[in-house]
Amino acid sequence: MKVRRLTSRYLGPRSLAASGSLLLLASCATNAPQDTWQPKGPNAKMIDDLQQPVFAVAGIIGIIVAACVGFAIWRYKDRGQPIPEQTHGKPALEVSLTVIPALILAVVGVFTFRAIFDLARTDDTQLVINVTGQQWWWEYDYPVQNEWGITQPIISSGQLVLPIGTKVLLRETSRDVIHSYWIPALNGKRDAVPGRVHTLRLQADAPGIYAGQCTEFCGLSHANMRMEAVALSDADFAKWVANQQAAYQAPAEGTLAKEGESVFLNQCVRCHQVSGLKRADGSLAIAAPDENVWSGAAPNLTKLMTRNTFAGAMFNLLRDACRDDVWRAESAAFGEKYLGGVDESCLNVNDLRAWLRNAPEVKPMYANPALLTDTNGKYRGMPNLGLSESDIDKLVAYLLTLK
Amino acid sequence: MFKTGSKLFLGLSGFAAFNLVAYVIFVERLAIGGVALSLVFAALTGLAAIVLLINEGDNERQPRDAALIGASLWPLTTVVGIVLLILGLIVAQIYFILGIVVVLAALAEWLVQAWSESASDDPAHNESARQRLLHPIEFPVIATLGLGVVIFSFSRIMLAISKSAGAVSFIVAASLVLLIGALFALRPALKPALVSGICVIGAVGIVAGGIAGAGIGLRSDLAEAAEEGHYLHRECGVEKSKYFDKKAMKNLSLRSNAAAIVELRDGKLSAIMVGFNTPQQLITASRANPVTFIFRNFDPTERRLVASLGNAMAGAPAAESDGEEADHAGKNETCTQLIPKGAEQALTIKYNKPTIAQTEPFTLTVPGVAGQSIEVLVP
Ligand code: HEC
Ligand SMILES: [Cu+2]
Repeated sequence: MKVRRLTSRYLGPRSLAASGSLLLLASCATNAPQDTWQPKGPNAKMIDDLQQPVFAVAGIIGIIVAACVGFAIWRYKDRGQPIPEQTHGKPALEVSLTVIPALILAVVGVFTFRAIFDLARTDDTQLVINVTGQQWWWEYDYPVQNEWGITQPIISSGQLVLPIGTKVLLRETSRDVIHSYWIPALNGKRDAVPGRVHTLRLQADAPGIYAGQCTEFCGLSHANMRMEAVALSDADFAKWVANQQAAYQAPAEGTLAKEGESVFLNQCVRCHQVSGLKRADGSLAIAAPDENVWSGAAPNLTKLMTRNTFAGAMFNLLRDACRDDVWRAESAAFGEKYLGGVDESCLNVNDLRAWLRNAPEVKPMYANPALLTDTNGKYRGMPNLGLSESDIDKLVAYLLTLK
Repeated sequence: MFKTGSKLFLGLSGFAAFNLVAYVIFVERLAIGGVALSLVFAALTGLAAIVLLINEGDNERQPRDAALIGASLWPLTTVVGIVLLILGLIVAQIYFILGIVVVLAALAEWLVQAWSESASDDPAHNESARQRLLHPIEFPVIATLGLGVVIFSFSRIMLAISKSAGAVSFIVAASLVLLIGALFALRPALKPALVSGICVIGAVGIVAGGIAGAGIGLRSDLAEAAEEGHYLHRECGVEKSKYFDKKAMKNLSLRSNAAAIVELRDGKLSAIMVGFNTPQQLITASRANPVTFIFRNFDPTERRLVASLGNAMAGAPAAESDGEEADHAGKNETCTQLIPKGAEQALTIKYNKPTIAQTEPFTLTVPGVAGQSIEVLVP
């Protein structure tokens, strides 16, 4: 997928008609991963159970009111008739027109409050995941939780991996501006605010991928700040956890990937952490995103190829055919397919190469060194590093080993 | 067919159409501007159609009776409020809030006045109707504002003069109030002018004192305490400051940001975190993002929380904190104050480097409490 600028081609009278018919079509789409009317877990179901009846009642009332207004406009329009007799008030009618809506609202209110409090519970949590938003991607870190086999923190980005049927609690915050986390199939949205910790319950019924989108305008690439929740069975989740904690395997000497590792050490390690990666002198390579990136963070790439997306889930790491294979997999087969990660035959090499060649060209970011006066020279996003094609070859080979 | 109303909207629609065409031809065929102008055009055409349909704006048929409408201050007040509001957007939030209050109050007054003026043909009755509705609100609000000014002025006086002078002046003021109150009660026949004169003199005196007090500022020990970091003061060694407030936890907002509440209870140190059902001995904190720990002391002795900021391999500190970083006994650490039993204090730390970059782990400890340490893991 390429990002194209909005040009006049898209405009003109056709755009209005097109957006109108799109709206119409969207309302009956079958493959709509961000449809708020298709809950896939108990939290979203709770909201759905509330919005369905409220929508129905409000819809009926809306139609009645519109019909009355239309009738009154038509029936009593000025045809030059004399001004009718002026009466003041009709208490019985007025009281009932106040009391009936008040009662309806009270009933809706009771159920709404109940849902709000149920959705705010944190005391029944089974798994905690920290979620940190920054321009324009989400970072996930899994605190140590021995009961899940998490004995050292796991850190990831773009795709949130969680076990099915588990009450997961996200502890959300942000490193720069306000973002908002929203996986429509699993729960409502919750703002991620710098300096605060907000909680959001998530629980998925079945294995699969649930798409979402940052829903608080957060700057240039807000629209490209996406995320996916990946639900795995308990057994598959345990495998995922074990693999995320597995030690770093340096590529074998003399391979292209090994050359890629040294390019990575030169070019990328100042922002990206690969845990366990060592420099030529044997010391651990420690990234310093806090010195180079405005938010203070860049995605941890230790297990890059275990995810299916990159750059704020804007691009797929998998080629379309392989990705469809994972997305459309039956529940039972899904886990195995997802855990397969990305290999050379499935790698979406075009988008990854384009990203390495010139990231700000494919995802709008503030990464022009000449314009970084507001941020003390720190980037918001990943800059164009001016890599040669052969360096990119090496890097791709290296990145493929990170799984 | 074409009345004033429909003429107005038809004219506006024409103007919008003209703008739309001009924009598309001369400016740019850009999405946002063109779409916005098309929508404006569509909305105006729609309004024109409705107005045509229902024959609205036929002013010859329904003459308005203007005789009963008196002069009003409220439109002017509303405008002043709006100006404050806009000014506030640029200058400072306080004007914005003030603007909102003024606009809402003025609109409410204006609404009621407008309503009361058309209530009947008798202006006197209308005025009394207005008063019946608004006086029960106006009087308490004005009284509260007046009281607020007096209390605020008095507090400025108390902050400016010394502690003992404050006590004396409070006693004098209170006795005066009592005496004068007694006088009023015993002499109901006193002239109203005299009574209100005394009250006004008292109020003016206090407000004048308040202004003077605000001019002088805080008395020296309070000023010094503020300078020492009255509230968020951090020292790892011997307490040097004399005046700080050991129980203050000024930044209420920090409570909602607590990564963990670290409690010292029965000689045990443990971390309480939202989502974890049991107290923890390990905190996972995200990197390069300030995290706040709230320390609560349930120990009878005064205690402080010490956070080691680690030693990056390059030698530079791996974390920053909101307090003074102390190179204390050769360690790179930051601390809360010594706080008594039942008190709490916050410590905000930004861990820039991960745990794997440390020669020693990041920890939270309490000096004098042996064997209790919480590790902070930074991925
Ligand atoms: C100046 C800091 C910086 C440098 C240097 C840098 N990156 Fe990045 N990189 C970022 C940031 C920030 C992002 C997140 C951008 C986004 O998604 O909006 C990113 C994203 C990525 C991603 C997507 C990761 C994901 O999980 O979404 C990959 C892959 C990547 N970079 C590879 C590289 C490689 C390879 C190099 C070295 C050639 C490199 N980067 C150098 C800052 C940097
Ligand atoms: Cu965002």
